[in-house]
Amino acid sequence: MRPTRSYADARALTTVALLVAVGAVLGLVESSLIPSLPVPGVRLGLGNLAVVLAMSLVGRTAALRVSSLRVVIVALATGALGGPGFVMALAGALVSWMVMSLLSRLRSVSVIGWSVGGAAAHVMAQLAVASLMAGSAAPLLLSPITLALAVPCGLVIGYSSRLLLSRLPLVRSEFGTR
Amino acid sequence: MTRGDRIVVLLVVVLAVAAWPIAGLASGRASGAAIAVVSGLGGTYRIPLDADRRLAVRGLEGTVTVEVSGRSVRVLESPCRDHLCVQRGEIDAAGEVIVCAPNGVTVRIAGRADAPDAVIR
Repeated sequence: MRPTRSYADARALTTVALLVAVGAVLGLVESSLIPSLPVPGVRLGLGNLAVVLAMSLVGRTAALRVSSLRVVIVALATGALGGPGFVMALAGALVSWMVMSLLSRLRSVSVIGWSVGGAAAHVMAQLAVASLMAGSAAPLLLSPITLALAVPCGLVIGYSSRLLLSRLPLVRSEFGTR
Repeated sequence: MTRGDRIVVLLVVVLAVAAWPIAGLASGRASGAAIAVVSGLGGTYRIPLDADRRLAVRGLEGTVTVEVSGRSVRVLESPCRDHLCVQRGEIDAAGEVIVCAPNGVTVRIAGRADAPDAVIR
């Protein structure tokens, strides 16, 4: 890894590391909770909180780092590394990041919009990968339900992100870029 | 929530609503392709599940009556001792099987869109 050049660089690196840790812990907590929703695989997406925060505080590349590292760490800890669930999670994380980084370029969309868009992209990517792996379109038949559930889940994460951003002592301007 | 956020939420909701009939169509087509594969001494028969009918299959101990009704299949009558095949009841999902071991008769549902075997989290 390249040496950190400045105070701002060091702050950014520390924030990314912190957010990876927070995201991984949230993901683990969530995976150990009893699923409360009737549709298989539907989760609130607590880990996405860290990705949204990273995108807002440090930048898009940092958000991608947080997102992918988080997925790998959670998979390591739950023993799912390399399994079908891991491939689905990775695809979800990548596509969700793409959509969120596109949305973050639009000035009129706030963290709440990123979160909802990211959640929808996440579930669709997961279902698409599941369909590919299963060799049938059956998983995609769940898409209306999962898309509908992505809205409240994304809203919860989005509003939580906004709350955290307004309360946490992490100041965005210190990093120069967004 | 900004205007942009509302547009994003609206877009996702519209997608969800639009995906509804598409998913319904796809699942309807998938179940339309379901076929029961019945095999006995007389050979193997492939019966579509759309039409209700009865079929007499020759087995080792006599004739086994298989009935198709309302997209599901069951063994109606069998001369075997335990009647496990009759007690199995109706099957309708791809991959489900009824076996009448004493008669050497099996009924299996084949289909293009197989339901998932397991769901992992």
